[in-house]
Amino acid sequence: MPTRRPAAALALAAGLLVIAGGATGLLLTRHSTPAMRPLAAGVGALPAPTAPIVAPPQSTSPKPVAAPVSLTIPLIGVQTKLLTLGLTSTGTLQVPLLSQAGVAGWYKGSPRPGSIGSAIIVGHVDTTSGPAVFDRLDQLTRGNKIYVKRADGTLVEFRVTSVQTYLKDHFPTEDVYGPVPDPELRLITCGGAWDYATHHYLSNTVVYATEVS
Amino acid sequence: MNIWKASRKLLMLLAMSALMLGIPATAFASSATTGTGWIRLAHLSPNTPAVDVYLYSFDNSTAMIVLHHVAYGTVSPYESVQAGDYSVAMRAAGASATSQPVLSTSVTVAAGHAYTVAGMGPESGLRLAVLDDDLTTPSGQALVRVIQASLKQQVVNVKLGSTSLASSLKFASVSAYQAVTPGTESVSVSAGGTDANSSVTLAAGTVHTLVVLDGANGLEIVNLEDASGSGQPPLGGVGTGFGGTAPHGPGSAVPWLVAIGAGGLLALTGGLRLRRNRQLHAGV
Repeated sequence: MPTRRPAAALALAAGLLVIAGGATGLLLTRHSTPAMRPLAAGVGALPAPTAPIVAPPQSTSPKPVAAPVSLTIPLIGVQTKLLTLGLTSTGTLQVPLLSQAGVAGWYKGSPRPGSIGSAIIVGHVDTTSGPAVFDRLDQLTRGNKIYVKRADGTLVEFRVTSVQTYLKDHFPTEDVYGPVPDPELRLITCGGAWDYATHHYLSNTVVYATEVS
Repeated sequence: MNIWKASRKLLMLLAMSALMLGIPATAFASSATTGTGWIRLAHLSPNTPAVDVYLYSFDNSTAMIVLHHVAYGTVSPYESVQAGDYSVAMRAAGASATSQPVLSTSVTVAAGHAYTVAGMGPESGLRLAVLDDDLTTPSGQALVRVIQASLKQQVVNVKLGSTSLASSLKFASVSAYQAVTPGTESVSVSAGGTDANSSVTLAAGTVHTLVVLDGANGLEIVNLEDASGSGQPPLGGVGTGFGGTAPHGPGSAVPWLVAIGAGGLLALTGGLRLRRNRQLHAGV
């Protein structure tokens, strides 16, 4: 049947084309597009804030310190007021709303920054479309400085001691929220892989810092 | 054949990248990574004059910390130190740093742990005690212990509200920690006919040491806040991202694999048809 020959050839050619197209598509889509986060640390660095710096607390006279009002991390250009956050009805830590993703918040169930203990400040890493207040938190390293201003105008200076990323399923509650005997700070945001099914990051990045004495 | 080999290779690649995404982020305890613990120094011997207290790293003859003229009742703030071996020495206030110490002791600091090194007992039997300080509280509670440092009243009973914290606690000894309901309570120390009262606030998630001291008149109670954390620790991790800067993961491979499969079938059919045609022509 000579009339069938062009049809068969056409099918073969079309089939091979489809295979080539499929393979190309498959190969091209196997790479993730990179994250949008800027990588250069120090870009947009801020000057250290100035205000009276108070001496670290003494355990013999645990005087109440004023509530925190703002946070500055010069190296990564963070300068934000601080919300006051509590717990959700399910017992997890409340976080700022999407509309407040540019602002961080202090957990009111934790010690106040600059008093003895581990003060907790949380902020979003991103919004649905771009970076948020703590998008560059993971770029901090040991020795970087963090400042918290309090309601009475005084300033507390902290120095980063360690930066860790934990799977949320293995969040080290005791290390982060447990008692410590000196004035410390923990900054928490999201990190690690984004889960497209649940729309959550799988990990948390925690910055540990202690007050400079 | 080649197509299947290629697809199998691709599937392997896909499987491998899926595995890699699943690898857990390395997580270390904060104190384990920084490798630090805490140490504080105290003078709790009523009839011992003021001393200079020296803290040495084990292999170093130059003191890391020197506290001058430390008088009875003084407790220093905690110092963060690298985990390891240290020694603490006491010299009479103003004595040369190279003079023979009155007392010395060694202390091993474990990462994430806190210690109080205190001069305790009467001057005639002065010793340096190393106390292990607790840094964990049961959720929603406070932790408290008592150090009995009164020589005037050698045996005391200490109550927090109606809860007994220590009964018949002897001079120069330390009670066990006790978990208590947070709040502001009265502390009463009774010994023979002498009483002392004070009010303390113990917040959830805090660790306290109550020190019974000889005061100018009778007994004195000092409330030390040793450590503090979140009274109600939040559950689990924190939801602090909306994904806007997340890397966009590879889409599903299924449509592409289906296309490859369909293309394969089409090509195979066409190829077979062509071969059959050629055989037919050859036969004519």
